[in-house]
Amino acid sequence: MSQKTERRGIHVDQSELLCKKGCGYYGNTAWQGLCSKCWREEYQRVRQKQIQDDWALAEKLQREEEAAAFASSHGAPAQAQSTPPSSQSQSSLGPFSKFEEKKTNEKTRKVTTVKKFFSPSSRTSSKKDSPEVKTSSPSTSRHASFDSDQVSKDFADFLKSMQRPGREIHKQCRSFLLSMSSKKDLNAEEVSECVQDFYQGLADRLTSHFKGSSESVEQVMDQVEKYIMTRLYKSVFCPETTDDEKKDLAMQNRIRALHWVNIQMLCVPMDEEIPEASESVVKAITDIIEMDSKKVPRDKLACVTRCSKHIFAAIGSTKREPASADDFLPALIYIVLKANPPRLQSNIQYITRFCNPSRLMTGEDGYYFTNLCCAAAFIEKLDAQSLNLTPEEFQSYMSGQASPQFDRSRLAADSDPAATSPALAQLRRNLDLLSDLDARQEALMEAARKLHAELPAWSESVRREVRDALEKQPLTLSRPAVTDNADANELPPQRSGGPSFG
Amino acid sequence: MAAAGGGGKSFSFKVVLLGEGCVGKTSMVLRYCENKFNDKHITTLQASFLTKKLNITGKRVNLAIWDTAGQERFHALGPIYYRDSNGAVLVYDITDEDSFQKVKNWVKELRKMLGNDICLCIVGNKIDLDKDRNVSTEEAESYAASVGAKHYRTSAKLNSGIEELFLDLCKRMMEAAQVEERSKGNGGGQSASGRRGVQIVDDEPQAPPTGGCCSSG
Ligand SMILES: Nc1nc2c(ncn2[C@@H]2O[C@H](COP(=O)(O)OP(=O)(O)O)[C@@H](O)[C@H]2O)c(=O)[nH]1
Ligand SMILES: [Mg+2]
Ligand SMILES: [Zn+2]
Repeated sequence: MSQKTERRGIHVDQSELLCKKGCGYYGNTAWQGLCSKCWREEYQRVRQKQIQDDWALAEKLQREEEAAAFASSHGAPAQAQSTPPSSQSQSSLGPFSKFEEKKTNEKTRKVTTVKKFFSPSSRTSSKKDSPEVKTSSPSTSRHASFDSDQVSKDFADFLKSMQRPGREIHKQCRSFLLSMSSKKDLNAEEVSECVQDFYQGLADRLTSHFKGSSESVEQVMDQVEKYIMTRLYKSVFCPETTDDEKKDLAMQNRIRALHWVNIQMLCVPMDEEIPEASESVVKAITDIIEMDSKKVPRDKLACVTRCSKHIFAAIGSTKREPASADDFLPALIYIVLKANPPRLQSNIQYITRFCNPSRLMTGEDGYYFTNLCCAAAFIEKLDAQSLNLTPEEFQSYMSGQASPQFDRSRLAADSDPAATSPALAQLRRNLDLLSDLDARQEALMEAARKLHAELPAWSESVRREVRDALEKQPLTLSRPAVTDNADANELPPQRSGGPSFG
Repeated sequence: MAAAGGGGKSFSFKVVLLGEGCVGKTSMVLRYCENKFNDKHITTLQASFLTKKLNITGKRVNLAIWDTAGQERFHALGPIYYRDSNGAVLVYDITDEDSFQKVKNWVKELRKMLGNDICLCIVGNKIDLDKDRNVSTEEAESYAASVGAKHYRTSAKLNSGIEELFLDLCKRMMEAAQVEERSKGNGGGQSASGRRGVQIVDDEPQAPPTGGCCSSG
């Protein structure tokens, strides 16, 4: 109970996050609430067929596009479309192989790794939708595919403004996605290598061939990452080939078992009694929980950064000097413990594998992300010593036999623990409200019971009075319904003036 | 891409600050990036990640300085912090023999984990407190030389030696990056980790590509 109240309303019920099949792993809305394993089992066949259909569609679109390109570049009208598809795909190679040739003097491995994505079987392109979007079963993830349609559209719009390089980028991304959809047997690290090689190859090409400035290349690469990873997300986030899911579960349980760890044990320089500080803490918790809902690595990273900035704000409103790593790391650990962010390990792995590496290496985002990795590692390994506790204390808190007191030094100054912990104060206020509500409901029930008990007596008394009146003054008018009426309508008994019929 | 020497290149470096608590890591970096010491009017909300842009012999350098949590209980997290870094600044307090011992431990660990891929700086801080010195400069310097590191003497309080320390480190990192770049160009066998190492990018704004530069569009 104390665990829940301390999370202050942003805590998500764990059961909502679990796989609908009840296997114990986490579910994912993108997989209709199933875990990746159950999802795969459920939709393997539908998917397989969909992939085949997609290939057919992609090939068709490519033929159309190439026909159109051919027509426009040769000034010839649409009869080019009647050319057999096989020769069309050959001709489409034209501009592209030239493009590749120009790079051959740069003898880096990257060029060849990029080249391998353009093997004939994977070569394709289309104007509209990439087929990968529809890999899920037809009845599912309308929302998800809408999202990724929107991303495709945005991506196309962004590239349009770049003209020639834009078209090349588009083509390469599509080819890459298709080649990835045919490589189902790669393990997570191999998939990561492919994606990273693709990023690197494309960035190199933009720099050397299109002479992009580092800023503009960065900008393009952000868009590329967004597009590629929105498409790949479902198949590469927490993939079956890894034990990411198992680690998520272990981490989740670990954090739950550590619910008793408080701000003093971690020496966090944040005072949640200060309203601004506690507000920032809540925001930081919300941000780190939100990370799981993003698909693009950079968007996930942005959640970590926002969380970190709120932590700095919380530290800043507590102590009046700039926060150092000595302040920040324990604070982040505290926030992670409070938030218990869904699928923490999967998210860390996903960002590590698929984020643009320049962001993770030297950038500010990378610094905060590294600290998050540190926080996760610390929580996994944490023992009595890391919290300045004796092994006995640690053991008794872990087993739930004892619960640590709130800040002892403050208790000396003020014997009311609620004064030292806003969470506790809130809990107390809520309990007061609840017991007040309870009392009022009890009173209401009592009154209702009384009313219920009085009802038969009252209707009996009405009946009796009517009978008496009728006996005293028998009427010629026969109105047998009178008693029934009075009873049914629950009219109040008319006492004054006697019956006044007629 | 950049081989050594060409103009218009920019370098991005990651440098980690390591050392026991209270040796002056935060003070040094705040002195370097904000030119303040124990100042109540520091504008930055945090001193854990700071950057500095330099121009060294016509080349732009973006330096990212990563503070690390110095408490003993976080020691095991070191490798997560220093992976992919180009340089490490290992700080001790010249009045504190223990803090110098800690630096030695860090050096051992860094060399074991990263080999010679990282430029090491061993920094004796608080030289304004020379009367209380407990670590001799000769000892520190000969130790540094023995492990392929360079030794520096600084005072964050007096703003002494800090500018020089980071400038020298940057030059050494540039040299290392250019050596790596050259060997990459010749050997061709670039390792996967190299991709996540230093980046050198063309930085000069260029004319937009002309329509027919690469194909019969
Ligand atoms: N005399 C003197 N004191 C310093 C110097 N550098 C830092 N300090 C003091 O040493 C203490 C610890 O500094 P801090 O930067 O927080 O160390 P950190 O824990 O390594 O980040 C502070 O009280 C500083 O004022 C210096 O060069 N000379
Ligand atoms: Mg510090
Ligand atoms: Zn399941």
